Amino acid sequence: MKTIYLIALNTFKETIRNKVLYNILFFALGIIFLSISFGEWSVFARTQVMEDFGLATMSIAGLLLAVFIGVGMLGREIAGKTVYAILSKPVYRLQFVLGKFAGLWITLSINFAIMTLVFIGSIYCEGGKPTPGLMYAVVLIFTEMTVIVAVSILFSSMTTPTLAAIFTLGFYIAGHYNDMLEFNLMQQLNPGIASTMKIIYYLLPNLEHFNIRSRVVYGLSVDPGYVAMAALYGALYAALFLSLAGLFFKQKDL
Amino acid sequence: MTLIEFHNVSKQYRCHFWTPSLAVVSDLSFSVKEGKIAGFIGPNGAGKTTSLKMLMGLVRPTKGRLVLNGRDAGQPQSRKGIAFLSEQPYFYDHLTVLESITFAYQLCGLPPAGAAREIARALETVKLTDVNARKVKELSKGMQQRLNMACALLGNPFLYILDEPMSGLDPLGRTLFRTIFRDLARQGKTIFFSTHILDDIESLCDSIVVLAKGKLTYDGPIAPLLEKGFSGTDIAVRSLREEDRRSLSSMGYAVSGPFPGISSIFVPKDRQPRDVQQWLFEHGMFCESIERRNESLETLLYGDVSAGARIV
Repeated sequence: MKTIYLIALNTFKETIRNKVLYNILFFALGIIFLSISFGEWSVFARTQVMEDFGLATMSIAGLLLAVFIGVGMLGREIAGKTVYAILSKPVYRLQFVLGKFAGLWITLSINFAIMTLVFIGSIYCEGGKPTPGLMYAVVLIFTEMTVIVAVSILFSSMTTPTLAAIFTLGFYIAGHYNDMLEFNLMQQLNPGIASTMKIIYYLLPNLEHFNIRSRVVYGLSVDPGYVAMAALYGALYAALFLSLAGLFFKQKDL
Repeated sequence: MTLIEFHNVSKQYRCHFWTPSLAVVSDLSFSVKEGKIAGFIGPNGAGKTTSLKMLMGLVRPTKGRLVLNGRDAGQPQSRKGIAFLSEQPYFYDHLTVLESITFAYQLCGLPPAGAAREIARALETVKLTDVNARKVKELSKGMQQRLNMACALLGNPFLYILDEPMSGLDPLGRTLFRTIFRDLARQGKTIFFSTHILDDIESLCDSIVVLAKGKLTYDGPIAPLLEKGFSGTDIAVRSLREEDRRSLSSMGYAVSGPFPGISSIFVPKDRQPRDVQQWLFEHGMFCESIERRNESLETLLYGDVSAGARIV
């Protein structure tokens, strides 16, 4: 556990000294802040537009952070061979993977905390008040990004950083269109294609489970039980992807 | 006790799944005993670094078994109390010297209580002081290599596995590292290091392991190898007359010169130099100098490696 903590701390230090992180964060904060003026475009639903815009920005910023920092982190370690300094010590490869993930997750958490504070602040500026539903939406976006970070680590343990970034983005898109896959599955007549689609459908997590933006923005109620289950669903998928990353990384020649 | 064991180890790499695999190390078997300094040598591409990486669990062997300190080398626990120094110093750009060495100390699982003292001792040993606050990337390659060595010295390991430790060092740095190795040897530590610098081999090693094209060509003490390189003795003599030259030649000795007044008589290794000395004395001449003629270690080790044949 101490080894994971040490690797996580080092990863965290590395990410907070990374300029890309600040570029993405300041860009996101700027957009969230600007959403105050975007609210002016709407006559009747200024807060809704702001909320929708803010949540979408957090989602995109989270994705960019997960892909650019998550993928680069492990890839750089392998390409730059700094991994030798760690793995030539009595350290298990799974500990290394988990440490990397934990470090990235802490960075992601802090970024989300900052974005959420600015988001809430901008809602107050407009005279609104953040609802519990809004917080649930933030929690689920954060859970989704946790899954994406785990996926980016899985792909980085298997392939080059460029391909890993492409695969992670592909995974994000496919995960959001999983429902479409189910719909197409029902229409599919070719049994070969149907069974392949079925495998993909069951393997891929349905990332739409983490998307409650529309419900929150339109003021519909959100069941806390659903949020808890979705968070658990995300945590289990993240654990699965990290285990797979550990397995792949264990086989990798460095 | 044997600390390092290679049992029929092979490693093959495949660049792409459609290309045939390339054997980097083939059926390698040798061992290194406790308390010895063993050199690991061979030309570039011989498979030394791959072998050391396999030993440290960074690369998995295709075939065979590696044992490190009595355990399977793939197990992280086998690396407890063992220092590894990579060919190039690999440090995190974002860390300072102190942060880097502290991180290395913590990863070794050493007690936090003595950290500051141990880190200061290691840095002092490699003569790297007053740079604690500097980023590692700002240091020269030689200084980075010293820091690498300092990290290896942390916690007083009993086995040092070093991949070209002298690489990137200036002459002062090399002398320092040699002194450190001798000190470690005096303390009974085991050192297994790869190098291209044959002077280091001659001056430091008890035994050597020679690799060529991934195959073992020699494994054993260095003395027999040097003995194998001994071809005879050169005796220098002044004012050798023509009839003496003919007599010596008829006795089977090669005479060359005279070079500014000095002639050289070569006595092959299967004959005694004192017979020639006796003969010269009887003919009123004296030796100016007597020197052993040795093939260089370089020729001995690398001369025939293209064939991948065993040296001895």
